[in-house]
Amino acid sequence: MKLPIAAGLATAAVSLTLYPLFEGGSWFWASLGAIIVVTAVGMGASRLSAPPWAAPPVMVVALGLYLTAVFAGDEAWIGFIPTKDSVLLVGELFGSGFDDIQRFAAPVPANEGITLLTAGGVGVMAVLVDLFTVRLRRAALAGLPLLALFTVPAAVLTDPISWPAFMIGAFGYVGLLVADGRERLGKWGRAVFVRRTRTVTADSAPDTGRLALSGRRIGVTAIGLAVLLPALLPNLAPAPLFAFGVGNGLGPGGGNIGIPDAIAELGGELRQEANNTVLTYTSSDDQPRYLRIYSLDVFDGTKWTINPLRGRPEDRVSEGPLPPAPGLGPTVPVKRAETQISISDDIRTLRFLPLPYPATQVDADGDWRADRNSLMVFSTDDEAAGLDYRVATGEPQPTPEQLDLAAPEPDSGGRRYLDLPAGLDPRVAGLAQRVTAGATTRYQQAVKLQEWFTQSGAFTYSLKASGSGGEALSQFILTDRSGYCEQFASAMAVMARMLGIPAKVSIGFTGGTKIGDKWTVRTHDAHAWPELYFAGVGWLRFEPTPGGTAGQGTAQVPQYSLPVTPTASPSPGSSPGASAGPDDTTGDSAPAPRNPREIERDLGNLPIAADPGTPLWVKIAIGVVAAVLVLLIPAVVRLSSRYRRRRVLDKVAFAVPDPVGPDPEADGSDADLIVSGDTSARRKRRAVAAGASEQVAPAVEAAWAELGDTLTDFGMARRPGESPRALGRRVAQTLGTDPGLTASITAITSAEERRRYARSVNGPSPVAADLRQVRRALAAAASKKRRLGATLAPVSTLLRLRALGEKALDGFDRLENIRLVAGRSRNGADDTMGNRTVTVRDGMEDEAGAGRSLTGSRR
Amino acid sequence: MAATPDVTDAETRLETLVDTANRIRDAIESVIEGKSDVIRLTVTVLLAEGHLLIEDVPGVGKTMLAKALARSIDCPVRRVQFTPDLLPSDITGVSAYNQQTGDFEFKPGPVFANIVVGDEINRASPKTQSALLECMEERQVTVDGETYRLESPFMVIATQNPIEMEGTYALPEAQRDRFTAKIAMGYPEPAAELEMLDVHGASQPLDKLEPVATTAEVRALIEAIRAVYVSQPVKKYAIDIVAATRQSPDLLLGASPRATLHLVRSARAHAALSGRDYVIPDDLQDLAGPVLAHRLLPSMEALGQQRRPEQVIDEVIRRVPVPDVK
Repeated sequence: MKLPIAAGLATAAVSLTLYPLFEGGSWFWASLGAIIVVTAVGMGASRLSAPPWAAPPVMVVALGLYLTAVFAGDEAWIGFIPTKDSVLLVGELFGSGFDDIQRFAAPVPANEGITLLTAGGVGVMAVLVDLFTVRLRRAALAGLPLLALFTVPAAVLTDPISWPAFMIGAFGYVGLLVADGRERLGKWGRAVFVRRTRTVTADSAPDTGRLALSGRRIGVTAIGLAVLLPALLPNLAPAPLFAFGVGNGLGPGGGNIGIPDAIAELGGELRQEANNTVLTYTSSDDQPRYLRIYSLDVFDGTKWTINPLRGRPEDRVSEGPLPPAPGLGPTVPVKRAETQISISDDIRTLRFLPLPYPATQVDADGDWRADRNSLMVFSTDDEAAGLDYRVATGEPQPTPEQLDLAAPEPDSGGRRYLDLPAGLDPRVAGLAQRVTAGATTRYQQAVKLQEWFTQSGAFTYSLKASGSGGEALSQFILTDRSGYCEQFASAMAVMARMLGIPAKVSIGFTGGTKIGDKWTVRTHDAHAWPELYFAGVGWLRFEPTPGGTAGQGTAQVPQYSLPVTPTASPSPGSSPGASAGPDDTTGDSAPAPRNPREIERDLGNLPIAADPGTPLWVKIAIGVVAAVLVLLIPAVVRLSSRYRRRRVLDKVAFAVPDPVGPDPEADGSDADLIVSGDTSARRKRRAVAAGASEQVAPAVEAAWAELGDTLTDFGMARRPGESPRALGRRVAQTLGTDPGLTASITAITSAEERRRYARSVNGPSPVAADLRQVRRALAAAASKKRRLGATLAPVSTLLRLRALGEKALDGFDRLENIRLVAGRSRNGADDTMGNRTVTVRDGMEDEAGAGRSLTGSRR
Repeated sequence: MAATPDVTDAETRLETLVDTANRIRDAIESVIEGKSDVIRLTVTVLLAEGHLLIEDVPGVGKTMLAKALARSIDCPVRRVQFTPDLLPSDITGVSAYNQQTGDFEFKPGPVFANIVVGDEINRASPKTQSALLECMEERQVTVDGETYRLESPFMVIATQNPIEMEGTYALPEAQRDRFTAKIAMGYPEPAAELEMLDVHGASQPLDKLEPVATTAEVRALIEAIRAVYVSQPVKKYAIDIVAATRQSPDLLLGASPRATLHLVRSARAHAALSGRDYVIPDDLQDLAGPVLAHRLLPSMEALGQQRRPEQVIDEVIRRVPVPDVK
C-alpha cells in the first residue's frame, strides 16, 4: 500500500471516532472528502518526487479549494476558485460553526458551519499526518495528530468511546506503521528474520509480507490487550464492559473531580432569555418545594465541588426506602408529603433526579441509586429526561427551641462540612462574628446571618456579578453586596462554616410557579441555596437570596429560618406562585433559563460512580487478592500436573504384575539402565515396574514430561536438538556426580528413549522417587530466587500459556496469509505488465530488477 | 521368562556382534594408539557396508589404519597406490588372450578383494578414479561386456592428502558422495605418540597383528545390523537433518538422498556397536558430521566467513528438533 494512502486511511479511521459528537453523518462525508483531497495531493507529490516541504502548502491550498467548492460553491468562480464572496461566506460559516459549538453540547447538529469546521479540522489533521508520515518519514510521530483527533470525543463526552470505534482508529494507526515499515524494507531489504521458521527459505525479494505480518500480530495483540485488559481488571472498569476510562473520571479512584461548571454556569443560564419548562410536579399538600439536584460539600477556595458519590447496589431506590436523612433525630416532628414529578423530554442526559429534601422514598423506573451522605439520587445508566417519578418526603419541622438545643458542636457526621481553605479574607470571618453578635446558639447565629443577607446587609440582586471563589466572595461580602443566588448561597455557607456551623451549597430549582393544577419549574427557577446542619435536626435549607420581583422570583424563606420574634410570614420570598418572570429581583440567581442541551453538558462532568458498595481499601484488597490468585494460576496448574504424573507413576509401579529382572545391557558406554548407586529398595521397585510396554509407557511418558517441566522451571530447559540421552548427560554434569542422582536421571531418560525409539519400552521403569531426587538436586543447586520462581511462577506452565496464545495468533496468520498470497501474485502481475507496456521507462524497471537481485539472491 | 524366544535370539546375536566388533577394534587399537573414535567409526562403516575416505596430512597413520583393519579380518586385502599414470584396467583387471585355450581370459585386478586400500586416491586421473567408484557403488566389475560380482564384504578405504595438491585430481562431488564417511585422523595425543615411539621403535606391530574375525563372521555381523530397528520418528529425524542441509543458506549444495541412506545405515551399525537394537537420534547426531560433511558444498558467503561444512552440520543438529512420539 502506498504510504500517502495509508496516511489517509489512518486519518479517516481515527476521524470515525468523532461520530458521537454529531447528529447525522454529513460531517463524515465532508471530512472524508477533505481527506481524499489531501491524500490525492500527497500521492501526486510523491509521484512527482516533489520536495518534502512543498507538499503541505499545496495540500492546504487544495483543502481550501475543496472547502470552498463544497460550502461556497455558488459564490466561487467556476465552482471552486475562491472569490471575495465565497471567502466571506466560508468565514461566516466558520463563525457560525464556532458559535454553534459553543452553544451546543454533543451531539451537535451537523449544520453547515459545524460540518465546515469539522471537515477543515480533519483536513488539517490529514495534512499533518501526511507531513509526518510521508514527507518526514516519521510515521510514529503521526500518532500525535491522530491522538489529538481522538482526544476530542474522549475529552468532550462523558460516555466512553465505544470499543469498536477505538479499534478502528487504532488499526488505522497500526496500518500506517506497517505500511511505513514495508516501504522502508522494500527499499533497503530485509533487516531481521521476523518470524519463527523452522526452515530458512531463499526468497528472491525482500519479503515485506512477513514483516507486515509480524507488525500486525503485534498490533493486534496490543489492541486486543488494550480493549480486554481494562474490562478484565475489576477496579478499572466503569459500568459498561468495554468502556474506556478516557477522560470521564468515573473510576472509583476518580476522587475529587468536582462539578466546576454547575455553579459557575448558573449565572450564564440565568441571563438567557428563553425560559423553558424543566419539569412539573404536583404534591399531596399542594405546597411548592425546592428540588435539589446536587449538594456541593467541598469548598476549595475557588469553587464548590462535590465529594465522590457512592451509589451502592443496595442503595437502589427501587430496593426500598432511602437511607435516613443524616442527623435527623427522632424527636423532631416531620411533615410527610408526596410529590409526583414529571421531567420534560427536552432535558437530556440529566443523571440526577431533582428531589425535595429529605426524600424518604423514590419511586422511579431505572437503576437509580442514592448517595448515603447527601441523599442525592443518580444513575450511571439511566437518564431523567421524560421520567415520571414519585417522591415521599419527611421534612423536619423543628421548633426554634429544638434548634436552639442543637448541640453547639457538630457531631462527627458534620465535622467535615466545616473545612475551609486557607487564605480566605480574615475580614469576612470578622464580619461574620459581628453580624451574628448577640446570638447565643448556632441556630440563632444562622438566623441572624440569613437576616443580614436578606434585610440588614443591604444586598441587592443582580445577575451581573460573577464568581464565588475566595476573592469574588470577599468582594461580594465586603464591598459589592450585589449578586445572585450563587454568591449568596456560597457566601452564607462560607460564613456559616466560619462560625462553626456545618454548611454546604445545594443546587437545583426553586418550587416554581403554579400553573393550572401543577407546579411548573422552568430554567429561570434554577437556584442555589445553602444548607446548614444542626445536630439532631439534620440539614436545613436557608435562603439568603432575596426573593420576589427584585430577586429570585420564586425563592422562599423557610419558616424556621426566620427570626423568632417577627411575624411568621416568610419575608422576602413571596408566595410560591410568585412571578415566574425571568430574572426578577435581587435574589440569588435562580438558575437561569437553560439550554436543555447545556444542562446535560454540565451534568456530564459530575463524578457519577456506580459504587459496588464497599470501601476503597476493601476493594483494593479484593483486587490485590484477585490479582494474586490470577498470578498463582500457573503455580496451581503446575502443582496439579505434577501430582497427576506422580499418581500415574505410582500406579504403574505397584500394578505391574510380572517382574522382569533388570536387563543387563551390553556395552558400558551406552547401556546404563542400572547404574551403581541406585539404592537397592529403589532398584526393587524399578524392577517391579518393568513390565509390558502398554502398562509402562504412560509412566515413562509422565516421568519424562515431569522431568522436562522441572528442568524448564529451574532454567535448564531441554533444547530442541537435544535427545533424551544428551539431556540426561547435561543435567547429570550440571548437578554433580552423586551416583544415586545419576541413576535417577538415567532411569528416566533411557526409559523415554526406549519408549520413543525402540520396538518396545521393556526395561526398568522410572519411579516417583527418581523425580523427587532430581527436583531436590535442582533446587539445591538453584538460587533462592530461582527456587521461588519455580514454585510460584513455573516457566513450563507459562510457556504452555504462551503457546496457546501463539496458536490463536497463528489462526489469525492463516487469514492474513490468504490475503498476502493474493497480494503477492497481484504484484507479480503488475511487474509483467510494466515490462510489457512501458518500454520507454526501461531505466526504472531495470533499476528495480537490479535492486531485487542484489538483495535477493543467495547463490 | 517374559522375554520371547525372538527377543532372546536377537539379544544373543547382538551380544555376538558387539563382541566381534570389539575384538576388531581392539586389534586395530593395538596398532594405532589413542584413536578409538576413528577406529570405532571405521568399524561402523565396515558393518554398514560403506566405504571410507580418510583425509589427512601425511604420516598420521592413514594407511596404517587401513592396513590394520584389513589385517584384523581374515580376508583378502589389496592395496593400490594411486599415481597419475594408473589406468582403469590396473584396478578392475584385464582380459588377456590365452594362447593355450585360444580365448580371452579375465585377469582380476586388485579390486577383487574384500578390503581395498586406495592410497592417495586423488593422485590418479579422473578416469581411473571413476573406474574404482563404479565398483564401489555397483559392487561389480564389467570388463569386455562380462560382469563380475565382487565379494561381500567389500570395502574401499581411500586416503587422500589435503595439502600437496599439485598434480592431483580432487574427487568431484559425485564421487565423494559414494563414500559413506570421511574422517580425519588428526595428530595423536602426546601420550599416545610417546607410546607409539616405544612400540614402533622395537618392532612393527602390524606384523604381529593376527586376524580376529573371519569373512563369514563379518558377513553375519552385516546381516545382523540390517535387523536393527529404526523407528519412524528417527527416520523422520534423518530426513529433517538432510533437508535442513539442503535449505541452509550457508550451503550451495546439500546432502543427497544417498546421504540419507548412508546416514541411516551407518546409524544402525553405530547403534549395534553400542549394544542397542534400535537407533536413537544420538546415533544420527554422532554420525552426521563424518557422513554428511564431505558431500556438502559451502556457499561463497560461508567460505568467506570460514565456516566449514562441519560447523554448518553442528548448527543444523542444534536446530533440528529431536523427534518425539512414535
